[in-house]
Amino acid sequence: MIPLQSAFNKLNTNKYGASSYDQGLLWVTLILLGIGLVMVYSASIALAEADKAIGHQQTYYLTRHTIYLVVSLSAAFVTFQIPTQAWQRMAPYLFLIGLASLVLVLIPGIGLVAGGSRRWISLVVVTLQPSELMKLFATIYVADYTVRKAAHMDSFKRGFMPMLLVMLVVGGLLLREPDFGAFAVITVIAISILWLGGINVRIFTGLLVLLVIGFVILILVSPYRLERVVGFMDPWADPYGKGYQLSHALIAFGRGEWLGVGLGASVEKLLYLPEAHTDFLLAVIAEELGFIGVLTIIGLFAWLVLRSFMIGKEAIANERYFSALLAQGIGIWIGVQSIINMGVNMGLLPTKGLTLPLLSFGGSGILANCIALAVLLRIDWENKRLQKGVPA
Amino acid sequence: MSFSPPVIIKLPIWRRRTLLIVVLLGFCVLLGRGIYLQGIHKEFLQKKGEARYSRELKLPANRGIITDRNGELLAISTPVESIWASPPDVVASPNQLNALAKLLQIEPAVVVKKLTKKNHEFVYVKRRIPPELAAQVMHLGIPGVFMQREYRRYYPAGEMAAHVVGFTGVDDKGQEGIELVFQNWLAGKAGERHVIKDRQGHIVEDLVAVNVPQDGKDVTLSMDRNIQYLAYRELALAVTQFKAKAGAAVMLDAKTGEVLAMVNLPTYNPNNPVNINVNGRSRNRTIVDTFEPGSTLKPITAAAALESGNFKPDTLIQTAPGYLRVGTATIHDTHPQGLITVAQVIQKSSNVGASKMALTLDRQFFWGVFNQLGLGTPTHIGFPGEASGRLRPYKIWRPIEQATMSFGHGISLTLLQLARAYTVFANDGELRPLSLLKLNEIPLGHQVFSAETAHQVKDMLEMVVLPGGTALKAQIMGYRVAGKTGTAHKLDVGGYQKNRYVSSFVGMAPASNPRLILAVMIDEPSSGEYYGGTVAAPVFSKVMEGALRMLAIPQDAPNDNVVIPAQGAPEGEPEEAPEVKDAPAGKSVKEVQEST
Repeated sequence: MIPLQSAFNKLNTNKYGASSYDQGLLWVTLILLGIGLVMVYSASIALAEADKAIGHQQTYYLTRHTIYLVVSLSAAFVTFQIPTQAWQRMAPYLFLIGLASLVLVLIPGIGLVAGGSRRWISLVVVTLQPSELMKLFATIYVADYTVRKAAHMDSFKRGFMPMLLVMLVVGGLLLREPDFGAFAVITVIAISILWLGGINVRIFTGLLVLLVIGFVILILVSPYRLERVVGFMDPWADPYGKGYQLSHALIAFGRGEWLGVGLGASVEKLLYLPEAHTDFLLAVIAEELGFIGVLTIIGLFAWLVLRSFMIGKEAIANERYFSALLAQGIGIWIGVQSIINMGVNMGLLPTKGLTLPLLSFGGSGILANCIALAVLLRIDWENKRLQKGVPA
Repeated sequence: MSFSPPVIIKLPIWRRRTLLIVVLLGFCVLLGRGIYLQGIHKEFLQKKGEARYSRELKLPANRGIITDRNGELLAISTPVESIWASPPDVVASPNQLNALAKLLQIEPAVVVKKLTKKNHEFVYVKRRIPPELAAQVMHLGIPGVFMQREYRRYYPAGEMAAHVVGFTGVDDKGQEGIELVFQNWLAGKAGERHVIKDRQGHIVEDLVAVNVPQDGKDVTLSMDRNIQYLAYRELALAVTQFKAKAGAAVMLDAKTGEVLAMVNLPTYNPNNPVNINVNGRSRNRTIVDTFEPGSTLKPITAAAALESGNFKPDTLIQTAPGYLRVGTATIHDTHPQGLITVAQVIQKSSNVGASKMALTLDRQFFWGVFNQLGLGTPTHIGFPGEASGRLRPYKIWRPIEQATMSFGHGISLTLLQLARAYTVFANDGELRPLSLLKLNEIPLGHQVFSAETAHQVKDMLEMVVLPGGTALKAQIMGYRVAGKTGTAHKLDVGGYQKNRYVSSFVGMAPASNPRLILAVMIDEPSSGEYYGGTVAAPVFSKVMEGALRMLAIPQDAPNDNVVIPAQGAPEGEPEEAPEVKDAPAGKSVKEVQEST
């Protein structure tokens, strides 16, 4: 073993200098993807079997999810080869491509409607969800923006206004679909990166206060909105209507207890819980694998966030500010989206239509997540090279 | 183009820390929420879950069958399907809805209403349809529409045995007759499964051990389906012919007291029991209705008189001048008979003769005879709603009442009681209990009269169907018959009704050793004929003859035993109550004809 290991290290060293992969990041990602594959299959069997349109194939979603993983991991491998500076260079163009795709998706005939939202673009054999890719492009763009505008972070007009305008455009497009979830995630990413980039505290607080005031006014003007916003908190008030999905998700948690009912033994997935294999995958995990399963998922995501921040810190040490902001932005993205999704599953947040990153069924989401993590892996790899004095 | 950031960039550590803490706090909140949901709040949630998808499944027990004494089916359960829906899961196109409505023959609007019921997860669309039709409905493939196996009761004997067998309701519970009496016995015990079902209704798992159903047990009736049918057919013909309001007949096995036939008209179809209360169609008149029997009670009076020791069959009784004053009332015979024997009182059905015998009896003794024969007391045959009739306590009897009771007025009873009373004449004075169920052995009876008295009265009853008697039409070729006619005015509001009669005949055969007893009652014949000997006796003759031959009971008379009455002979006993006229006494058939 040892000779082989050293031989591999030698090879590594020979090819990439002194650096190596972040094994932990890679494995955590692969474990999450693996859990996702197993749970998507478990959660989708009953749904697939009952669906006449797909010929009652039990493995319908399993097959597709596997293909998404293969494609996404291949894309990740390719991504890993791309230097971080290239991303910074491409940032504005990628963002424009993202914006264009968000416009395209709104055009009837190009954008496909499902579940009341126009979120998908048909690319002959596959469908693409532009909002998922937009999360990646926005993260890159905001990181680049913040670095470029670093000198004006104290200026409302020069530092904050341009980003506000850009975000209003993105938000407007996303809300047309509508995809409030993606809008929320992108907003949080943007604010977080600006915050990390040193935006003036007064501007930041002002923004928060403004948000709160706007929210309060909205509620005062039309109290029914409060009801709609808070309504999700008590699914038992209308368990067969508005509270249907959440009540079933909560039942799944309750049934799972500490250790779960066992892999494959969920009852909620038997067509009771809608979107069991996508937005509400965590509820099925909670039922089948119990709190232990939920704890594992939360732990892995928390670890990802921590890791991204550590990578960011090392990038700062190397004075690679774009890389630092991008790494942390990716961490925020994965972290916030997973928190919102899990919060929705547990009845802490209103239903948003956000998937659980890396786990939920959905090609575009997994592709975007994998590319993002490959970028993160690349940043870490470059950090290590720089620390060893090898040019990135 | 240089991508080196300007040196002035500041990425303060505290901002990173704050943000990281906020995110990690988010994860901590989730952990706390997870502990709450999965460790603390779980019982509430699990209960809610059970309410959603755990179901108590009834496992229906197969209801026992009802057969006649020979194993012929009288009631059997056949599988049917009920279509039900879970409205929240129903997804149907208008075409599918129309097809569904058409198949089930329901208004489309009603179907839509049922399938869109809010806050219901279970709605019956239509219950109890044939399995083939249900298969067609399921073939429509409407999600959320399901079928459920149920059982429907089928009665092969239909209306002819409806009053005995009864029927079950929509939930398979006995509503009438044997189905009601033997509900628990027939129904068995339904089992139970507590299961989790998926949203499409498939069973996922059992929550507790399956409680296996216990099938119901079968009931074998004493009835003989063939005799039942014969009795039903002949009674129906008579009811039609004489334009009667109703009719009833009971045939007993004279030795065992088993009910071989029990028919009533009007009747109903137990396979489709609708409007069963119109005209009392559902009434088993032989058991639940009482009537004043009239002269069919005279043989009992004669037996009591013989038992008292004051009379012998040939004791002469003066019935002239054809009426008898008792207190302020007068009892009439239609035709004065003069001096006649006890036997002739029966043969001619003389009210005066019967009254004179009765008035010599101690009223407690006379009451005791009635009571021991079970007149005015329930037979306890085990049938719902049995009437007891009315035999007033002897202490309040007045002489006129004692007299009228001797010819069956002032006392009310059921046809079944009357038939049972006649078992004493077939069993050497022993009264046999009755049974609707097939018996394996002869039940214990109790002695009411001496064997000698029973034989003597039976001999008198044989004279009734012979020339000089009131029921020549009760004769049967090849068999000796013993019986008694009855033609009673109906008692209604305002007393005895002048033109409304109950015509009856109770008899047995073969008279040498009676095997069968048949009581026939025709209520309000309105075609002009109303004598028991004219209206009820022919029914007796046909049914009894058929039954004797079906049961291969040996003949006890030559084939040429039947005396055919001349046309237009008034062979009935024109009796009226309480002013009763009787048939001309001491004359042959020819003389009767001449006397008219």
